[in-house]
Amino acid sequence: MQRRHLLQLSALAALPASLGLARSAWAQSSGAIQFGCPVPMSGAFAANGKFADLGMKLAIEQYGKALGRPLAYTVLDTEGKPATAVRKVQEASQQQGTRFFAGGILSSESLAMGKEAEKAGGIFITTAGADEITGKDCNPATFRWSVPTFGAIEQTVRPLADALPKAKRWYTITPQYVFGDGLLSAAKNVFKEKGLEHVGNSYHSLTEKEFSGYLTNAMAAKPDVLLLLNFGSQSSDALRQAVSFGMHKNMTILIAWASGLEQFESLGADLCDGIYFGAQYWHTVDAPLNLELVKRSQDKFKSNPNYSLAGSYICTKLLIDGIIKAGTVEPKAVVAALEGMKYAGLTGEEEVRKGDHQVLKNYYLLKGKPKAKMANKDDYVDVVSSGKSFLPVDQTGCKLG
Amino acid sequence: MSIYLLQVINGIGIGMLYFLLAVGLSIVFGLLRFVNFAHGAFYLLGAYFCYQMTRWGLSFWLALVVVPLVVGALGWLTEKLVLRHVYAKPHEFHILVTVGLALAVQELVILQWGPLGDSVAVPDLLQGVVMWGSFVYPKYRLFVIGFTAVLAVGLWWVLEGTRLGSAVRAGSESTEMVSLLGINVFRIFSLVFALGAATAAIAGVLAAPIRGAEPFMGIEALGVAFVVVVVGGMGSFGGALVGGLLIGIVQSVMSTVWPEGARLMIYVAMAAVLLLRPHGLLGRKG
Repeated sequence: MQRRHLLQLSALAALPASLGLARSAWAQSSGAIQFGCPVPMSGAFAANGKFADLGMKLAIEQYGKALGRPLAYTVLDTEGKPATAVRKVQEASQQQGTRFFAGGILSSESLAMGKEAEKAGGIFITTAGADEITGKDCNPATFRWSVPTFGAIEQTVRPLADALPKAKRWYTITPQYVFGDGLLSAAKNVFKEKGLEHVGNSYHSLTEKEFSGYLTNAMAAKPDVLLLLNFGSQSSDALRQAVSFGMHKNMTILIAWASGLEQFESLGADLCDGIYFGAQYWHTVDAPLNLELVKRSQDKFKSNPNYSLAGSYICTKLLIDGIIKAGTVEPKAVVAALEGMKYAGLTGEEEVRKGDHQVLKNYYLLKGKPKAKMANKDDYVDVVSSGKSFLPVDQTGCKLG
Repeated sequence: MSIYLLQVINGIGIGMLYFLLAVGLSIVFGLLRFVNFAHGAFYLLGAYFCYQMTRWGLSFWLALVVVPLVVGALGWLTEKLVLRHVYAKPHEFHILVTVGLALAVQELVILQWGPLGDSVAVPDLLQGVVMWGSFVYPKYRLFVIGFTAVLAVGLWWVLEGTRLGSAVRAGSESTEMVSLLGINVFRIFSLVFALGAATAAIAGVLAAPIRGAEPFMGIEALGVAFVVVVVGGMGSFGGALVGGLLIGIVQSVMSTVWPEGARLMIYVAMAAVLLLRPHGLLGRKG
């Protein structure tokens, strides 16, 4: 009986492991070019991860092949933790020979994976926000599509300050995090330059859900603009609570780093009305590639692409285009092919800057519209302005050598 | 009005919600000697059922009545079908089973409603703010304070003024004695567990318009509930109230004094209480 029991247990133990392998979307056929999608599929950022997976799927299926070889990808659940992310990237590169990774939702996991990709001799392209990724922690293996904190602030705070010349007093709510500090120092620079008064700042922890205390601080400072520098569900919670305190009636509210469609859906049109949002991407942008993506997304998923999906799609597409342009899968050649590459991207003309591997693209200032004015269920905002703002390479702290 | 006074009032508002979250956990532990890690799951279900009912066009007030009953029934079923079988086992089993339950519920919620989280609108009657001079406070949060206070009085009456309550209190001192006296202890266990689940669900329904319904709110709530119960004393109703208010006020005042440390200070307060009074502020020994 003991031995049978043991054999049964071992058979059962093998089952979850085989289910794990089943997660990869395509069979591990030899000869296929392997891609990895290291994103959080569990935990607080699972929503972003799920759409990132779909984005990569769209790109892989669109091309099907590159250099005569089929394309395949595996989702690697990072759980939003840097240590797990690094381990998964290591395993994928060692066990499946994966060299091309597009993912990383959180800055912490992306910084770690960038270093790991360099060690493993691969390429990692991400949409995470911390300046360091293409700044002082840049490396030859890492690329970034999304606009970092400098551009996010330049393209939201500056145009808003210009549009509201009477708005002199600004209050900030900032997550105590490398990324939050990046946004805050960029904002402070703009305040100083434009002679705006920074009437106060409240830091908060990354796990905070209760913002009433910070909002009470903000109200006591009587600002003209409430600048929310947090992101994801924290920015949603802060906005929700700010609106419940009636703050949207006394002041302008700007969320500098909004997620886009997925965030507006979870907030609902009533909460978005009159609020300003900064975004990396919006599905109504009139760029040829974007129009194509919207069509593909509608055809396959019956919905418009949100930021997580679009970001993952363009990152994967960049990798594939880089491979095709280089004519080989040898990572160093692909890196060289990507550097300086100009292409028609989702936000218009985009360029992969050689000096720091940062993609130069537009960032958008959006304004929520009243529910009654929505033309369709995704028409939450109007695009107020957009533009490209990037620090010159020598000021980013990046030395790619 | 001084900002500190504002923060204290805000803290009372937060604290009442924390009390509601913690009281079920405290009573369940006091009577069943059972650490219920699935407590947050009932809070989560409360919020999502409320969201679903408002999606169906039903009123928030109806949800406030119906959802706790539904979740209470689920709690009762859980106790009868699952938990009753592990009472006699060591505490590790309680933890395993209830944590497993909590994770399963969370994943089911994600399967059903997606991982993104949704907003629940504040009922029309309670939209807007109350203004006294420079004091601005959402009507809805005032309602939460008032409603929870009424609920607290109601719960206190049940525990102190009814036979069921006295059986619960006696049972938390000695279960054997109570069953020797001819009272069906198991039925009381089920009822108490259902009550714990129902109060967590009410907390979820009340929290939904403030914080939205979001799949990970169960874990966060559990952390706070445990802190409140430890501060107030395991098994003590009064302790849950005092603990809840204390933690709420500390968090709120700290967001002015030391904003980034507001969340940390909750746990520091807990540690301080544990050092000075290991059984909690109003807890009993043993």
